Amino acid sequence: MSLVKTLYEKDLYPEIEDAGHSDFARDCVEIASERLARGQIDRRTFMTALAALGALPAGLTVASRSAGAAAGELVVVNWGGPAVDAYAKAFGVPFEKATGVKVVIDGTGPLGSKIKAMVDAKAVTWDVCDTGTGTTLVLQKQGVLEKIDYSIVDKAKMQDIFAYEYGVPNYMFSFILAYNKTKVPSAPTGWKDFWDLAKFPGNRTMRKQPNGMLEACMMAAGRDPKSVYPIDIDLAVGKLKEIKDNVIAWGSGSQSQELFRTGEVVMGNIWHTRANLLSQETNGDVTWTWQDGIVTAGMWNVPKGNPAGAETAMKFIASSQDPDQQLVLFNAMGNGPANPAAAAMVPADKKHIDPGQPENLAVQVLQNGPWYEEDSGVRNLTNDELSREKWLDTLSS
Amino acid sequence: MHASIRRVYWWLIAPAVLLMLVFYIYPLFQVLWISVTDPVPGFGNYRELIERPLIHRIWLTTLRICVLTTAITVVAGYAVAYAMAQVGERQRTWMMFCVLLTFWLSVLIRAFAWVMLLRTEGLVNTGLQELGLISEPLRLVRNEFGVVVGMVHFMLPLAVLPIYSNMTGIDARLVSAARGLGASPIGAFLNVYLPLSKPGLISATILVFVFSLGFFITPALLGGGKVVMISEYIQVSFEETLRWGQATMLASTLLFSVLLSLALVARFVDLKKVFGAR
Repeated sequence: MSLVKTLYEKDLYPEIEDAGHSDFARDCVEIASERLARGQIDRRTFMTALAALGALPAGLTVASRSAGAAAGELVVVNWGGPAVDAYAKAFGVPFEKATGVKVVIDGTGPLGSKIKAMVDAKAVTWDVCDTGTGTTLVLQKQGVLEKIDYSIVDKAKMQDIFAYEYGVPNYMFSFILAYNKTKVPSAPTGWKDFWDLAKFPGNRTMRKQPNGMLEACMMAAGRDPKSVYPIDIDLAVGKLKEIKDNVIAWGSGSQSQELFRTGEVVMGNIWHTRANLLSQETNGDVTWTWQDGIVTAGMWNVPKGNPAGAETAMKFIASSQDPDQQLVLFNAMGNGPANPAAAAMVPADKKHIDPGQPENLAVQVLQNGPWYEEDSGVRNLTNDELSREKWLDTLSS
Repeated sequence: MHASIRRVYWWLIAPAVLLMLVFYIYPLFQVLWISVTDPVPGFGNYRELIERPLIHRIWLTTLRICVLTTAITVVAGYAVAYAMAQVGERQRTWMMFCVLLTFWLSVLIRAFAWVMLLRTEGLVNTGLQELGLISEPLRLVRNEFGVVVGMVHFMLPLAVLPIYSNMTGIDARLVSAARGLGASPIGAFLNVYLPLSKPGLISATILVFVFSLGFFITPALLGGGKVVMISEYIQVSFEETLRWGQATMLASTLLFSVLLSLALVARFVDLKKVFGAR
């Protein structure tokens, strides 16, 4: 897949993917695939959604392999598996019905490196990509994305702070404090407790990347949740240093779950979707608090020079802001709706796993993308780039 | 040899050479090219090698782990190969089977197996605690120790096989002759057997060291995110931060260090002989 991984092991062992890092978007697919395999959700969930939305137009194509765009077609790229069907039904069908533009869902995975390679080679075959805030920031600095046209996309249908210049939120998720009830003396109530090794002995897990971790560090350092930004990177990595010996870092979502399963950690800063799975499989032994959670978003990106044209892509994104469509995705995959209007429509028994519920939002921090984009003043790096470097440096020191 | 026959040979290997040129040599040059052109032309990426402490640390970690892994693997592999060369046919078949068996297991499965054994609540720690040998669980994994354990385990067959194949070519009567001439068992081994097995030792050392340099999964899983080796950082630069200039620079230095270590070894031994070419 990439030229570097072919070094030695990759040739022998294709599963190498599992050892790497993953974005939240890809992780949702992994989770849904597992649930589908275990029979926890079935294809009828999709069919019910279908019935509500009207029949599947005959022309709608679902492609699991890389698709090339034809005229009057829009290629939406996500992470494959059940997400192909889920996206087709949540977003593809309604858009096609409204505009007549055929939506092809391509599940090959919109890796940032692939998007850059496509745009650099002027051979763009993708129109809309499902990435994250981190990838959006990296890609926009590389100048390979179309600017979001907020005259078409509605800023009112999202949390203000997630309206990036080059990305639009298509769902929300949170970094939260998860813990194993049976291994801590009392329930930790925030990041200060996370740092309290005397009161809560044992290992913790944090992510290999700083995104979502720096905020926790700042709160642990005593910064009020309302004024986490601007982040003092040195202060934040200094906090990591304090507990580093007790930190095991996770790369992919499944790794964060495994660390709890094997009993290697007693608490962790992980994605709420993984915490929810852990809670289910341990009958509530592992649980989490929304308190001081960090809400972030999955992002729609449009590669520069996309085949269907920027305007069509923007129209698709605008169409996907519809709360009904976002709810279909939430029910199928667990991705929290990005449109605040969808919060009230979430079924009562699922409100506790939706980061966007007003009561959950009230105790959390919304991640501030613009801060990550700002110049750090060091070697021409953005805060995002500098913090990635310092975070890794501290972890590996 | 007739010139015409030689020409036929050239034609016969031409498809293979062409394949290598197009699918191996050309991309390799592309990697080198990107490393001096992205983001701006020049040697800026290589300057980072000297200037940035993070890259120093990653390279030092990589070298430290590679040297440790190589030393332990070659010594352990030598012992296994020596035993294999001495035992009877039946035992040898079984030993060979066991060596190759681990070779066939997926590297992921092996890494997870080590995690299960070495974690704080794993077999080793609970066993030692039950026996009363330790009161607190030892940190055996998610650190450099765990990485070296996993890597040595992975590399062992790569050391055993060349050393063993070299040993099968050693005439056992030479050791008997040395003993007959009054050498002690250790003396006969050190002065006769060990020098004769040197080519196997050297090829095992090169093989293990070169393979270790590019290791990715084992350190990523057993290191708990805190043991970052050069391959992992290449992946981060390539896929996450999209700094391809930096990624290709690191990949190039990895390539150069392999060539360099081969060149260094070539000063002392005849590499053609080590790898079995005439």
